[in-house]
Amino acid sequence: MKPLNPPSDNQKNDASYRFSEKLPVGLTIHCWKGTADQWSSPLPAYDEKDLVLTFLNYKGELHIATGNDPGQWQPACPGMGLLSGGSQALRFQSPSPVLLSAIVLHIPGNWINVFMKDNLNFKKIEQALEMEENIITCRLGRRQLSLFADIMGQEPKNKSNLLEIQNHALSLLEFFLCSRHRNLSAVHAAGGIDNEDDLSLIKEVESYISEYYCSDTFTVDSILKKTYTSYHKLNFLFKSIHGMTISEYIRNKRIEKSKEMIADNAKSISQIAYEIGYSSISNYILAFKKIYQITPGKYKKQMDSLAAS
Amino acid sequence: MSYVSLENSEPFLKCFEVIAEDKSCIVTDSVLYFSGKTGKGFITVAGISTGIEVLAVNVSMLTDDLTFSFLPSQNAASYILSIEEISIPGAPENELSFSLTAAPGDRSNSSVSITDAEYGKLITYPKDRIIRSLIVRVQKSSLDHLIHDFDAGAIAAILQSANKVSSISWPITFKYRLLINDFMTEIVQHPFRELFMIRNISILVEYLLQQFFIMDKLSIEGNYLSNQDTHNLSKVEQHLCLHYKKEFPGIEKLSRISAMSPTSLKTKFKKYYGDTLFGYYQKNKLEHARKLLDNKVPVKVVATEIGYSNPSHFTLAFKKEYGFSPWHYLNPH
Repeated sequence: MKPLNPPSDNQKNDASYRFSEKLPVGLTIHCWKGTADQWSSPLPAYDEKDLVLTFLNYKGELHIATGNDPGQWQPACPGMGLLSGGSQALRFQSPSPVLLSAIVLHIPGNWINVFMKDNLNFKKIEQALEMEENIITCRLGRRQLSLFADIMGQEPKNKSNLLEIQNHALSLLEFFLCSRHRNLSAVHAAGGIDNEDDLSLIKEVESYISEYYCSDTFTVDSILKKTYTSYHKLNFLFKSIHGMTISEYIRNKRIEKSKEMIADNAKSISQIAYEIGYSSISNYILAFKKIYQITPGKYKKQMDSLAAS
Repeated sequence: MSYVSLENSEPFLKCFEVIAEDKSCIVTDSVLYFSGKTGKGFITVAGISTGIEVLAVNVSMLTDDLTFSFLPSQNAASYILSIEEISIPGAPENELSFSLTAAPGDRSNSSVSITDAEYGKLITYPKDRIIRSLIVRVQKSSLDHLIHDFDAGAIAAILQSANKVSSISWPITFKYRLLINDFMTEIVQHPFRELFMIRNISILVEYLLQQFFIMDKLSIEGNYLSNQDTHNLSKVEQHLCLHYKKEFPGIEKLSRISAMSPTSLKTKFKKYYGDTLFGYYQKNKLEHARKLLDNKVPVKVVATEIGYSNPSHFTLAFKKEYGFSPWHYLNPH
């Protein structure tokens, strides 16, 4: 890997170029475009306390590693963001020449001190950074990619757009931190689903279900309308996380609730069936029997005799 | 009527004591919630340690007026920016109702203003209105820092030339509306409040600078509009913003709302908002569409949601505005 010289005037028409700007808020942004094997980290040596946020976009196959251990090559994906410590240099490797565009945002340690000192969420991210071998990644969404393209499209010498660049850069930074924060606070990431969007979708649907599952107008269709997803996709996600289809999930929830109500012994079976959203008793009895292998009436009797003894 | 007065050096948080005592509010952390008896909503403050402070007001149906007074002081090296969107509940459904209820002196319109803190500033939020407002106090040095490559002196010059009290205000545009909307929905829950603040203020400053360029141009042309004109223009603007889901209302109807002839409405609107009537309407509409696309709403649904009968018309309009189709926006990889 040769170090890349800053482009001189005769290199301007070349595919590779870079520009660096110090943003008014105190961050420094470096934009870089070129083939991956030309990459040498376009950064001066930074302090250990500084953070470096790198956004990448390219077509092809690429592997990345951080400075210290040479063996650890991880596969990269297009449109990703990487947060790493200031003293860690990023390195890239690819089987074939890859045209790479990158935005590197340098966040000085004292800037973090000024703005994020008391922020507990940010501390958690810093801890995660230490645990995960000094590199955290996330995938950019569509909005972020268009911001990325906007920044890359700026003329290096044109300073009048500096504020625009700054706003885009801050948006990217905020997105990265927020998505990481959501990841850290997500309770489960089970079933091999690691897609940010899908997890938040599932969470949304679950909370929607737990709010409305007792209403008799509640249907799977209403969820689909509310979340703008397809039935197949939702079913697939539910299967991989809960091991059951969405209607099974709702049924389980309803029957569980009804079981509690039977144990309370305040209402008749038919009342309970209507209250948890079944329109006919026989449907309810069938569903109950399917799960607990006993009819609700018999279950009630059992509970009564238990209570009597 | 409750009255809060603040010295230049006093933090915004101090006004909570006064309001909470007066209005029976619940204060947690740096958010003040109205308990329902005296109004609904919240007020929140945040300071960024580099001399920028933000007071966000998001309340509706106050039973009493609420006044913030920033006392004039000689050594105040700061600006007060205020962006307020005040609307009458129920107005969006029927545009006639607001032209009837809004008496001439009534501040039911929305505005952006910048004031030199040296002269003080009085902001009153009227009762029985929906109020969403941001007050930003920014020290001159930090504003210079934020825009250091620009001519920061230009702002001072424009302020000085404007009038004796060094304050300029102009009507709000859809960009500010969208910004306030985002800000109010996210600020209380946001995990990185400080960063969120900096970003929004930075965007705000960008908008303000654009506005200043327009003002600069206007003053060079020497063509100021009368108060009545700006009031009428802001009515048109509000109509265009609120009715983005319907078809473009047409020049006839707009000229009736503004009480101007179609030709003079067109020229004055262009001068004041820097865009044609339809262009303005369309930009706002597509910005809403883009928001929906960000939330993973399918293109077909977005098209009907913002009032297109045919998705391909929407696609064409989107492509014309942003340079790429909605589908491409959804599938960038």
